[in-house]
Amino acid sequence: MSGDPLVLASGVRTPLARAGGAFAKEDAAGLGALVARELLARSPWRAEEVDEVVVGCVGVPHDQANVARVVAVRAGLPHSTPARTVQRNCASGMEAVDCAAMAIESGRARLVLCAGVEVMSRYPLCFSDSATAWFERLSRAKSPWAKLAAFAAWRPSMLEPKVALLEGLTDPLSGLIMGRTAEILAREWSISREDADRYALRSHERARAARDGGRFAREIAPVLPSGARPGAAALVHDDAIRDGQTAEALAKLAPWFEKPDGRVTVGNSCGITDGACALFVCRESFARAAGLAPLARLVGRAWSGCDPARMGLGPVQATARVLRATGLTLVDMEVVEINEAFAAQVLACEKAFDSAAYAREHWGGAPLGQLDWSRTNANGGAIALGHPVGATGARLLLTAAHELGARGGGHALATLCIGGGQGGAFVLEGAA
Amino acid sequence: MNATPAPGSVATLAFEGELAVLTLAAPHRSLPVIDLPMLEDLERAVAELERREDWQGLLVLGRDARTFAAGADLDAIEAIEDEREARGLVERGQALHSRFEDLRARDKRGRMVAAVGGACAGGAYELCLALDLIVASDAPDTRIGLPEVKLGILPAWGGATRLPRRAGVSKALDIILKGRLHSAKEALRAGMVDRLCAPEDLRRIAAEIARGERPLTRRRRGAAALLVDRNPIACALVAAAARRAVLRSTGGHYQAPLDIARIVPWARLASRADTLRAEAEAAGRLAASPTTRNLLRVFRGVERAKKLGATPEGARVEPTRRLGVVGAGVMGAGIAGVAARRGVAVRLADTRRAALDAALVAHRLELEKRLRARRIERHEARATLDRLDATVDVATLRHCDAVVEAIVEDLAKKRELLALLEQHVPGDCLLATNTSSLPVGELQRGLSRPERVVGLHFFNPVERMPLVEVVRGERTDASAVARAAALALAMEKTPVIVADVPGFLVNRVLGPYLDEALALLSGGVPAELVDAALRAFGMPMGPLELLDEVGFDVAAHAARTLASAYGARMGPGDRLDAAIAAGTLGRKSGRGFHLHGAGRARLRPDAATLVERSATRASLATPDAVARRLVLATVAEAFRSLEARVVATEDELDLAFVLGTGFAPFRGGPLRHARTIGLARVVDELRRAQDEPDVRARAGGGERFEPCPLLLSLAKR
Repeated sequence: MSGDPLVLASGVRTPLARAGGAFAKEDAAGLGALVARELLARSPWRAEEVDEVVVGCVGVPHDQANVARVVAVRAGLPHSTPARTVQRNCASGMEAVDCAAMAIESGRARLVLCAGVEVMSRYPLCFSDSATAWFERLSRAKSPWAKLAAFAAWRPSMLEPKVALLEGLTDPLSGLIMGRTAEILAREWSISREDADRYALRSHERARAARDGGRFAREIAPVLPSGARPGAAALVHDDAIRDGQTAEALAKLAPWFEKPDGRVTVGNSCGITDGACALFVCRESFARAAGLAPLARLVGRAWSGCDPARMGLGPVQATARVLRATGLTLVDMEVVEINEAFAAQVLACEKAFDSAAYAREHWGGAPLGQLDWSRTNANGGAIALGHPVGATGARLLLTAAHELGARGGGHALATLCIGGGQGGAFVLEGAA
Repeated sequence: MNATPAPGSVATLAFEGELAVLTLAAPHRSLPVIDLPMLEDLERAVAELERREDWQGLLVLGRDARTFAAGADLDAIEAIEDEREARGLVERGQALHSRFEDLRARDKRGRMVAAVGGACAGGAYELCLALDLIVASDAPDTRIGLPEVKLGILPAWGGATRLPRRAGVSKALDIILKGRLHSAKEALRAGMVDRLCAPEDLRRIAAEIARGERPLTRRRRGAAALLVDRNPIACALVAAAARRAVLRSTGGHYQAPLDIARIVPWARLASRADTLRAEAEAAGRLAASPTTRNLLRVFRGVERAKKLGATPEGARVEPTRRLGVVGAGVMGAGIAGVAARRGVAVRLADTRRAALDAALVAHRLELEKRLRARRIERHEARATLDRLDATVDVATLRHCDAVVEAIVEDLAKKRELLALLEQHVPGDCLLATNTSSLPVGELQRGLSRPERVVGLHFFNPVERMPLVEVVRGERTDASAVARAAALALAMEKTPVIVADVPGFLVNRVLGPYLDEALALLSGGVPAELVDAALRAFGMPMGPLELLDEVGFDVAAHAARTLASAYGARMGPGDRLDAAIAAGTLGRKSGRGFHLHGAGRARLRPDAATLVERSATRASLATPDAVARRLVLATVAEAFRSLEARVVATEDELDLAFVLGTGFAPFRGGPLRHARTIGLARVVDELRRAQDEPDVRARAGGGERFEPCPLLLSLAKR
């Protein structure tokens, strides 16, 4: 580790809103620009001092092809600041930080504004291939006969749209929608429906306690949604948390992905939400020279790949890699944030972390150890808060950094599973 | 710039092959106007064009694609002594334009084309109207229109005669009555110009059209011309409707719109000569009138105020790019919204999130309104939305160039806020206060850099009221004053520099006016009479209406401040206390002197009971008498303010009062009004007012109407 480590200097996020709800009318770049402006206002640097902008986004709007560029200019950065959009499925927000880190390590930049942005509410409905072909045929038809022939070729089935959300959440390599990969893990690792529901309930309870205890207030900048009418109020809290969630209510839900025997329901899966998170990345000396005590040091970053049909185990290999690279162990982690794509998936990870057989097969070494639930996802996770895919990676880092600070320092592990069969794992160190 | 330019150099005529090119060069002016040297050169040019046979096509343009000419010479108009002189000037311009128009008859293939960019207004646009075609630059700084009505005159160089032919009678009437300057797109939509093009292409394309190489035909009015413009019945209806609308909106105080409504509807039916003659008669009469003089003076005051946004040495100050506003009440939200809409990035701070939410919603609704009216485009609206952020944390103002505080009128709280701001904002950040009743000097005390603290007093509603009082505190330096004025100008307001005294200027002079109205009400003068009298005088609303709008609590607070600062002549300051205690606050509480609900406000029959009845009756029975009494109170205080050097000049005092209260602009302001009446007569009337029984019976009554030493000495001369 170098003497001047990279740091997450400062960060802020919007509340996470249930899809189709408060942020349903936002455009991704607008939300990103808002959170970027807020970050600038909370940090010692002026917009002109930012060297680059990197934004992670999965569902890039068609009219904002380079979301990062639009975010940068609308956040008040000068035209001379370059910007790019990056994507690594569910870890796009973390990928943005990784890219920023590499730009700084290469000496190309000193201060990079990263963000993760996702407005899943605005994922489009697309025309099917047959409908698209029909439109093309119609536009090419010049003579009245050709037009008539085109109209005669129309079929009602052409009205059926392709739902980008569903297609985006389906892995093209295995043909499995994400929830089905969780079902595979639930069977192979013996996670029961009750286990999953119990975990989901705990996520809501922990998130609620964190919200009510004001622990999210340090991260969140309230947002007044677009289209707000007089008398409307800004969204201040993550609104996907179910205050009245009970084990009974969870038990009543039918399995969503594999009927009738599945264990994964909408209740024990992550919520579909919208949100954005922004972070400043720089070297520690750069932050301290500006009078800022950074949030946390970035001491380890790792990516790994695994079977797409079992993508939920991504965190295991990635964590093994990052721990090996930093020379730390799971026991050293004061804080662990493991993204809750599905309760079954998190529980399968827990078992795989502690599985000697898994460790032998995948990296020929010792298992990582037992997860300590008093330190893991202590403020709830995506099941309660939601998983705005492009933003989650950044949010996880922000939440982990703040929790680390609240616990007096030490090390934090932030790790996610990634659709398509990858894992990402970062290690943070308290910078106080 | 030369004092007297050489003949032939102001409007230069050259020939490029068969194309005649007439350039409005005006080397003696930074912005060309149709002044006497220009007129003379244009007359020489048209004479030469009439004489020569060897040209086909005429191109008239400005010295570059972003400059044409800004209309008639205001100095010349101001210098007009009488109606005959005015009429002479008008007829000279008319004759010139008619000669241009008559050149048309000779040309078959080539055309006469004007190529305009930048400002093309008034007489300059009227020159274009006399030609065949007008091509305009589509740059955002293009401004085309006939704004003469705003100076109390009308377009008399053929504008009323020729615009109806292009745009139709109704549209022409609308354009001339409103006097707005239009953007390129608006001008094209209205038929005021025939084609747009990029400024870089302007000369080339206009020349090609003039040579006949590129076709361009004017949009024909077609059936509409027959059905409306040349239909006597339709024209009569249009004229009558226009007259009614003008009377309703101006109360009959402005003659120019009435003349416009009389002349324009008949422009297509009457002959060119007749309409021109009507224009000349009206213009001659109007130009020499006091109304025009007074409006011109206000207009010049606004133009002069634009120079305040620079240091005394004339160097430009750094514009404010990031503005912080603290306090999301009516004023703070208004200031934030106006600044954001004028291109400044704003961060609005308040401890109450609900107030921030309301301010953001109001901002968005305002933008939606403008989008629907097509005054802005969608991406501009989006950028404007991005420019207003809300926060509960004052520390996030750390990157602001200037901060305006508009929190509650409490000295301790404001001082605490300013001290807190000093901890977070950059050392050279301007700190402005919107206080209306606290001394800026007091707010400066105890700060580490008090010289950058300045008063920036906006008026309610911020969007509509053009005045900003810039208050120089005891330790405020010149740079802060200039930056504050520049910020006001960037928000398209007019700054006036005032001294740091209670009430500053406008509220101070308004004090006796409002209290006198309440005193008359107490003395038995009916409420309808009080308001109607001042509306008839030319105020936009009566004093009781104004109190309802401002809010009784706000007015009472101001009245108390003035009373404790200036004594009994400001009134007791407690006349509305009983009403306030009962929850009657004016519009904000739904009831004041009027009942405010859906639709128009209705005067309450029991309005007089809101104030205590006084023992002595006020024996004023006519609108004239009531108006005279209230205006006298205003004039007396205005002279006292001038004497105390609250503002530097009479012009600035009148300008501030007209812009800050809407005081009858055609009267020019309280001081100008006094001079028009005659200062000796004013002193006389003041003394007579002092003798009135109801005035004598009041504490401070005599003092209110006491002519100050300055007034007395001016009256003697």
